[in-house]
Amino acid sequence: MNKASTREKTLWTILAVFYACIVLFPVIWLVTMVFKPADVMFARPTVFFFTPTLANFDYIIAQGFLGNMLTSLLLGLASTLMVILIGTPAAYAFARFEMKAKDDLFLFILATRMAPPVCLVIPFYLIYSNLGLLDTFFGLTLAYMTFNLSFYVWVLRSFCRDLPVELEEAAALEGWSKLQIFWKIIFPLLRNGIVATSVLCFIFAWNEFLFAFMLGGKSVQTLPVAIPKLITAQGVRWGEVAVVAVIALAPVLAVVVLLQRHIVRGLTMGAVKG
Amino acid sequence: MSMAIQDASAPAASKKINWYPYILIAPTFVTLIVVSLVPFIYAVYLSLHEARYGVVKDFVWFDNYIQLLTEPAFWNAMYVSGLFVLIAVPVQFMLGLGGALILNRGVAGRSLIVPLLFIPAMMAPVVVGLLWKIMLAGSWGVLSYNVVERFNIVTESSIFGSPHYALYALIFIDIWQWTPFMMLAFFAGLQALPPGPYRAASVDGAGPLRTFFKLTLPLMAPLLFIIGLLRIIDAFKVFDTIFILTRGGPGTSTESLSILAYKMTFDFWDIGHASALAVVVWIIFFIFCNIFYQVAKKKLNAF
Amino acid sequence: MRILSGFHGVAMATTMFSVLLGASALSAEEFSYAEAAKPYAGTTITVLDEVTPLQETLATIVPEFSKETGITVQYELLSHLDVINKGQADMLSRGGAYDAVMLHGAQMGPMLDAEAIRPIDDFIADPKLSNAGLDTDDLIQRPFRTLAFFKDKQYGFINWNYNMVYWARADLLGNEIEKAAFKEKYGYDLGPAQTLKQLRDISEFFTRKRGEKLMGEPLAEDFYGVVLEGIKGANSLWLYIGNILRNFGGDIIDADGKPSFNTPEVVDSLAYWAELWKFSPPGTAEYSIIDVPTVMSNGIAAQTMAFSDFVLGVDKQGASPLHGSFVYGAPPVKEDVDPSRYSADGEPSMIVITQGSKNAEATFLFLQWLTEKKQQSALLKAGNGGVPIRESSWAELKSMDGINSSLMDAMKVSLSRVESKPLMPNYYQVIDALAEIIQQVGLGTISPQDGAAQGQAALERLCRDNCLLK
Repeated sequence: MNKASTREKTLWTILAVFYACIVLFPVIWLVTMVFKPADVMFARPTVFFFTPTLANFDYIIAQGFLGNMLTSLLLGLASTLMVILIGTPAAYAFARFEMKAKDDLFLFILATRMAPPVCLVIPFYLIYSNLGLLDTFFGLTLAYMTFNLSFYVWVLRSFCRDLPVELEEAAALEGWSKLQIFWKIIFPLLRNGIVATSVLCFIFAWNEFLFAFMLGGKSVQTLPVAIPKLITAQGVRWGEVAVVAVIALAPVLAVVVLLQRHIVRGLTMGAVKG
Repeated sequence: MSMAIQDASAPAASKKINWYPYILIAPTFVTLIVVSLVPFIYAVYLSLHEARYGVVKDFVWFDNYIQLLTEPAFWNAMYVSGLFVLIAVPVQFMLGLGGALILNRGVAGRSLIVPLLFIPAMMAPVVVGLLWKIMLAGSWGVLSYNVVERFNIVTESSIFGSPHYALYALIFIDIWQWTPFMMLAFFAGLQALPPGPYRAASVDGAGPLRTFFKLTLPLMAPLLFIIGLLRIIDAFKVFDTIFILTRGGPGTSTESLSILAYKMTFDFWDIGHASALAVVVWIIFFIFCNIFYQVAKKKLNAF
Repeated sequence: MRILSGFHGVAMATTMFSVLLGASALSAEEFSYAEAAKPYAGTTITVLDEVTPLQETLATIVPEFSKETGITVQYELLSHLDVINKGQADMLSRGGAYDAVMLHGAQMGPMLDAEAIRPIDDFIADPKLSNAGLDTDDLIQRPFRTLAFFKDKQYGFINWNYNMVYWARADLLGNEIEKAAFKEKYGYDLGPAQTLKQLRDISEFFTRKRGEKLMGEPLAEDFYGVVLEGIKGANSLWLYIGNILRNFGGDIIDADGKPSFNTPEVVDSLAYWAELWKFSPPGTAEYSIIDVPTVMSNGIAAQTMAFSDFVLGVDKQGASPLHGSFVYGAPPVKEDVDPSRYSADGEPSMIVITQGSKNAEATFLFLQWLTEKKQQSALLKAGNGGVPIRESSWAELKSMDGINSSLMDAMKVSLSRVESKPLMPNYYQVIDALAEIIQQVGLGTISPQDGAAQGQAALERLCRDNCLLK
């Protein structure tokens, strides 16, 4: 592509910043709500300037939302790790090898995502209830594999297309075992793709509500599940909602900022025909 | 690179079954069978029975399906979900692609802007719903008061209180949330494009429009397909935002398939009926994705 | 030391004697939870309830039970929808994750149909577990009787007496300019609405456009006489049925459960409902339980009808700029209807024992303990007010500092008229069908006559000729 002139670049930059402001306005407003006192929260006319308060944090800390955050973190990490370990070889296999009924097998993976979760949650609940898996960390990790594993394999597969077969062949000729080839050659090349896809998986797990709610309980309570507790029949604790929303956003945002180079590089691998 | 064919380490005999790839995919399949297939089969089982309150009673053949396919609520939900997907996904697709092209042309501070733009996709759906309630709630929403009322955009009713506007507001929110995601994905794709063909094209004197349609789009096809298909499936299943903002109303103007499923499951506890809905939606998707996949494979050479 | 002489001595002696007599009588009867709980000490029971400030206050008292009896109570609070969905899922699957679950009156029909509640009659009959001095006649009878009993069985004691009250801006209703203008237009004095006609007139009177005057000052934006919850759902529907339709003398079913929606009372009340919507802000069709208090505290509406415990959350320091300027009353009634039929909407709720519970006796003791006068008094004190379940609590509330007596009086009248929701197996399907119709009527897209006819048709389709649980 042609290099853009500096004038053109400035134009695009202004446009991009403008778009960012529009898109992010609600989020910025949310952040201001964190410090807004309750009686001016939704005053008419809108109160733009107010004396900030930290009162909204009290309830959050008292109710142990930080514990929920920890649970969300552990659950997200555990399920993402499992997905990486199980899914990476599969994605690689689909990209690299011929298999009988390959298309059907691949579509099966996508098919597991097709039914609306709302419909599946009660069958899940009934099965878990009988197996005693309700309100267990293991049970919820397993349930998250339902949507994350298929997503991971489906997306990562297309990133595996650029793998250099010659390198593998050369290594095989030199007597490397399949495992060595996988670990020493393939895995490093896939690293960025893995990072990119697994960050997305982590985000899905972090934000997931329905399964965490129905299959979790007092011992395993994630952050999204704790949010509706702020919507009481006596009104919504909006300030606290804002606090939790920002707390929920912060770690994910940090991860994306830190890993963004890997993510971009990962998404570019094999994403196009070359 | 071209599609890898035979496993290089196997002898040239093509009749011999290569077990290696099957071993690689085995853990995934075992997990998915246990975690996805089993509940789904259970749901199919439930759908063939009278299962009020989750207690399996008589075997009723396809009664649940017949009841489902003949009730207006189901077709209304199909219409709502279908309209939602039909408008939301193409719009966010095109905006995302456009934005990606702009980002690719050169925008200063990209490494700051890109993660920030990604924020809507990182927020929990529950939070997104509440956030837009804060923005657009009738009379007390921030934007309702300062924009909608100020400029008399919607007067006889509020946005979410109007059967005409509510669904479009929800579509707008979906676009708001997912356009940045599409932008990021497509931007990454554009970054990976090989410079060679483009140099050749410019030597040939091809203009930007022709380059885009004849060169960029075909090269980007696999990525566009994957992301597009994923979004279509997810947009069809959208739930949290609709639930928080309208609960499927006013009337049934925003009662999507997931909202209807929620009603059948948690309000009526009509589990047989809700399971039938799950199976029907699944079948629709399966057919659709199959077609999509075959087309993508042959026409776009995406796989 | 001289012993008190004569009259005083006799008086003192008599007093002491009767005190001793009384004390011994008391100790002969007094039920001991420690005693009753001995066989169950050391067990843990799990109870699910809804998260509102009322329950959060109760959570501070619950540990007392453990101290008294040695039974540990895990008291878990979830939001409104969650306590319904999770609680029902556990009850229906007989999973036993919870020993007791809070049910709203509306849930009783389906839960009884699924036989998911463990009745408590056998426990009440057992002298080792049951406190004869519980004084259930002191519980506010109408909500209690309609909630906890079905056929010949009892399913719990009442716990939460959610009720609706009429809520209005005292400053507007008391303003001299407005009072004079009102008297001139309608011919009677302006004050908190006690009849439905007054509610309508006041709503019409105060609905004004930007620029018109309110209390002598020009308005910066539109003002509305009333704000209603109009989002399609049970709350809006019952706002209509409990506060309006029933006060018009009608109902959705008759005493035998036969659908009775196509009656003159329904048509008239639907017409009334549609008219009220005209005096409510444009966003009415999206207003839920969350929006109404927000709109009232924003000060753009003059009146509403809302659950009294909401009010507790809004009409307090720091929660709203309009704190202190509200007046309350029972939901308005209709003048020419028999007073015994006066109705107010409410949602009496109670914690029931699940069929899956393995500690039913211990759970029963806990539920009975909660109902005791002592605990109810402690609850009201700890919460600095609240919504009572006992008649004897009213006097106690009145004597507390900072209590809004207008609100207390309103709740008292309201609760004397509240009935729990009718017990219908397909309660939710019925609600879903009717909720859509009354929203359409409110929006004006269908006429009251059509609404009544469609509602009747829907009811007949869903229940044939009997909607009630058999």
